[in-house]
Amino acid sequence: MISPELKKVILKQLNLDDFDFNDNTIAPDVPGWDSLNHINIILAVEENFKVKFKSMELLRLKKVNDLQELLDSKLGK
Amino acid sequence: MLWNIDLTKIPELLSFNPADPLIFSTSLFLILFSIFLLFYNFFGKNKSVRIGMLIFFSLFFYYKSAGYYAGILVLLAGVNFLSGKWIAGTEKLSFKRFYLFLTVIINIGILGYFKYTNFIIDILNGISGSEISPLNIFLPIGISFYTFKSLSYVFDIYLESMESTNSFRDFCLYVFFFPNILAGPIDRASAFLPQIDNEPYLSKEDLGKAVLLIMVGLIKKVVIADYIGINFVDRVFDFPLRFTGLENLAAVYAYALQIYCDFSGYTDMAIGIALLLGFKLMDNFNYPFKATSIADFWRRWHISLSKWLLDYLFKPIQMSARSLRIFGNVTALLVTFLICGIWHGAGWNYILWGAFHGAMMSFSLFIQAPRTKFFTFLKIRNTKFLKFFQVFFTFHLVAFSFMIFKTRDFQSVIDMLGQIVNFFHGEIFFQFVERMPVIVTLMLLGYLFHFLPNKVETFAQRTVTALPLVGKAILLALVIWLAAQFKSADIQPFIYFQF
Repeated sequence: MISPELKKVILKQLNLDDFDFNDNTIAPDVPGWDSLNHINIILAVEENFKVKFKSMELLRLKKVNDLQELLDSKLGK
Repeated sequence: MLWNIDLTKIPELLSFNPADPLIFSTSLFLILFSIFLLFYNFFGKNKSVRIGMLIFFSLFFYYKSAGYYAGILVLLAGVNFLSGKWIAGTEKLSFKRFYLFLTVIINIGILGYFKYTNFIIDILNGISGSEISPLNIFLPIGISFYTFKSLSYVFDIYLESMESTNSFRDFCLYVFFFPNILAGPIDRASAFLPQIDNEPYLSKEDLGKAVLLIMVGLIKKVVIADYIGINFVDRVFDFPLRFTGLENLAAVYAYALQIYCDFSGYTDMAIGIALLLGFKLMDNFNYPFKATSIADFWRRWHISLSKWLLDYLFKPIQMSARSLRIFGNVTALLVTFLICGIWHGAGWNYILWGAFHGAMMSFSLFIQAPRTKFFTFLKIRNTKFLKFFQVFFTFHLVAFSFMIFKTRDFQSVIDMLGQIVNFFHGEIFFQFVERMPVIVTLMLLGYLFHFLPNKVETFAQRTVTALPLVGKAILLALVIWLAAQFKSADIQPFIYFQF
């Protein structure tokens, strides 16, 4: 499950009103989340939550949930 | 014909001959493959026997075209298999990086040595005025394809997209697999390896699809591509000033169709043949001329290569350069397309072609927002009219980029463009059609089939599938006969073989 804060950041970047994220959602499922927008989303997450990801960590992400877990690990949760 | 076989010629036919690689559209391959398929189905109940037969035939297939350089295949299989094992076997990121680095150096080093040494010598000579003579290096056919194929396995393990395999035999089959060894698709181990364990069951749908693919592939390659290449495209591209602008323009359109039919035709046959052996390879083309933008084009053309470049080159660069925002994307795009160009060949025309596509993609990025606003303002966004215009415009960009791709010197490009602009002479159109009816018909048919709605393809597939086995065999034989009518005396190696 992704947190409401992360969901808000993603929706804002993609200009979406809402999207039903589940545990298995991957980027291609979400309208507009292509390889070019992907960067904007990552940057928005880093700015919003004041974290810094390593490129290798980001390349290993498979599902949107993985992003949440990575974010949590950076926030010390 | 069959009764005149000279048995003493057989060893010669089967031995290494670099001028005569086993292209799918040759009768030699058809015969050998049919015999192999019989044995495969007869003795292939046991998995080890089946895989062994495939590995043996694949190595023979490659030996026929590249002689003892087939050893490179074995070397690559060994290096990448071990590398995958070691990277997966360690927890330490620094060790993983080190193995990855070594593996990339070895793979790219092999590819670079065979393919780019003389090009680099040329550049060095040009810069420093030295006169180093080029080395006599044989270019093993398909090396660009199978080095990339093998590397994808190691990358995927490093990126934790797949588990390493413990079976060297299975990995060898993946690397040597003959349907896609000479010209792709550049399949991923994560998709291929699991299929080795499958029961070799060919469903009726798969058989129908395979037969259709092989037939369509043969027609595209031999009937369309080879024919319009020799009889029209080459003639105009060689001496553009001897032809009117109309003919030059027609040649540009013809070349785009030729390279598409050549490459996708070969790919269709590769996928069909693999299907007959019980393996599903990835698609490589999706009606590229229907693209509405250059970005869309690369999602439809040589898909296995663009996916490879996207996953292993573009995304890592993009990710590392993300703080540069749009300029990070642009950097990633330019580098990726430059490498795409270089991959195609050791020549400035290929590099320029790649750079051109990179530049177009980058330009598109910059104007994306204002362009969307502009179309919304004109109230044409998401309309059929706009789509038609986008397809028309993208096609012309692509067709003209292929002009750069094909020529060996830039004077020809300038000459061709000059003829088109200055000496068009549209009035000779009907004479042109009268003089070259077959070429014009083939071009019209080729483009027509390209733009047909998908329902037609589904219908064709269902029809072929529904035919009884005898019907399928007769249809295939008819197509082979048709292809033989169009075949020229010389082998027309398919354009992408030089890569």
